[in-house]
Amino acid sequence: MASLPKRIIKETERLVSDPVPGITAEPHEDNLRYFQVTIEGPQQSPYENGVFNLELFLPDDYPMEAPKVRFLTKIYHPNIDKLGRICLDVLKTNWSPALQIRTVLLSVQALLASPNPNDPLANDVAEDWIKDEEGAIKTAREWTEAYASKKDQKSTN
Amino acid sequence: MNQPITDASDFAQTAIPQLTQLDKLLRCHICKEFLRVPVLTPCGHTFCSLCIRQYLRQDPKCPLCLNELRESSLRSEFLVGEIVEIHKSSRQALLDILKEYSRTESKGDSPLIELGSQSDADDDIQILATTDRKSLRPSTIGSSVNRVTKLTGVRSLLKNHNEGNKSKQHMAQCPICEQFYPIEALERTHLDECLTVQSLGGQPGSKTSERKAPSPVPRKPSPPKTVQYKHNEDNDTSSHVERYINSSNSGDRQRLPKVTFASMSVAQIKQKLASLGLPVNGTKQTMIARYDQYEMLWNSNFCDAIEPVDVNELKRQLLSWETTQNNHGSSNIGGISSMMKRANGSKPYQKLLADFKNDKFERKSWIQMFRQDFKSLVKEARRQLIKETTNEIESQKDNTEETVKTQS
Repeated sequence: MASLPKRIIKETERLVSDPVPGITAEPHEDNLRYFQVTIEGPQQSPYENGVFNLELFLPDDYPMEAPKVRFLTKIYHPNIDKLGRICLDVLKTNWSPALQIRTVLLSVQALLASPNPNDPLANDVAEDWIKDEEGAIKTAREWTEAYASKKDQKSTN
Repeated sequence: MNQPITDASDFAQTAIPQLTQLDKLLRCHICKEFLRVPVLTPCGHTFCSLCIRQYLRQDPKCPLCLNELRESSLRSEFLVGEIVEIHKSSRQALLDILKEYSRTESKGDSPLIELGSQSDADDDIQILATTDRKSLRPSTIGSSVNRVTKLTGVRSLLKNHNEGNKSKQHMAQCPICEQFYPIEALERTHLDECLTVQSLGGQPGSKTSERKAPSPVPRKPSPPKTVQYKHNEDNDTSSHVERYINSSNSGDRQRLPKVTFASMSVAQIKQKLASLGLPVNGTKQTMIARYDQYEMLWNSNFCDAIEPVDVNELKRQLLSWETTQNNHGSSNIGGISSMMKRANGSKPYQKLLADFKNDKFERKSWIQMFRQDFKSLVKEARRQLIKETTNEIESQKDNTEETVKTQS
């Protein structure tokens, strides 16, 4: 735990040499446990055409403990709150050391494709989502346009 | 730490991409390294003994299937352990040979293979072969094995034509195994090997059949190397087989129990540690951590390992574990606190610090403020890197740990 485990070095190498489509993750040059992540909104979701910035941090106990992931770009999603915190099982109770950065980010991308308003983190968003799904999806689309369009990518970073 | 970092994908671009899977299967899903002292769970999954024991302390379930799992139900898996050892010892040689093989191959028919997958226009052959080969290789070589057999029509003609001039006349058939080999290799080593195999009355074993496989393709002779690898392999194989056959988990040493320290006094803990011959210095917490680590090392060694090391070696491991823990604490705190002290008085620093833990924290300004420090740390790390190339990872670590503190 004291050193940067080989596993982290290896994962980083793989992320750079063989990136996941639609996802980038780069370690910060000053801190190899801190990653700047971008995820493209999945097609046919309200987040389509958006590019979302996230931060990912590997705690000292990683991989025994889950990485910490947070959205930096504003997003209208029932399982992601104002601060960008994400309600996702693999980041909490269902974490397993057999998972890795790559799989976690894929899960986050999948969460964008299938919001789950029945297990909400952002209560207001979830309520809207249940009451008026179409309207909520429309709002999500507007937010994507406003905060996550590719042009804005740099300014939100 | 000193070993280079290897990955299963090393095999992806060789002539036998399936080896990627073998390489991956022999790795632990927790540390992603080759399994060290593998243990089997009741749910049928295999991990390094130390990795899984460490994880089970936090969460009693299998990392792969999430079924409930107790440390006591782990069983050692000697066979897998020995397979891993053999794979590890022959891995580099295997990669070298495959590299050599694909290089030779690329001189002969490989450009045509690439043509087959990339373009049908005959005119492109030369261009592809000369300029683009490098960039094409990664995407094509992986499946080249299959393609060799698929060459038809014009391409196979071209292939024969190309090869004919260059190498057909240098090939000769071995009178014993009736395969084609380059004359040089045939004379120097192959005949002897074939004769040996025959005189032993052996069926063409794995090694001969391995040699047969690429036979239609001209192979560059590299006799001394091959022979040497074979020797190593033979020695290793017999010793690993023997070790496996003679292994048994009778366990003349007892498992070290888990201890609930919560209800124990410092004196009692000291007594417990002393009875095992462990140091009794440090705070209560340090001592508890020390016992837990030792218990893990002990059980992993005496319950799971095929060849347990002795108690002194365990104590040495414990000591080195403890040193890494301490080192990182003390050295970094020094660095960080000196950084903080210098910036402490300034107002912008106070302002930034106020938001340190919430959403408004301005990471950029923070980095800017400490840019000089980060830079000097990086410089320092680089200098160490040059000084002791083997300790590469260590120096990165120091650098990282410091910044972890400023950012998290």
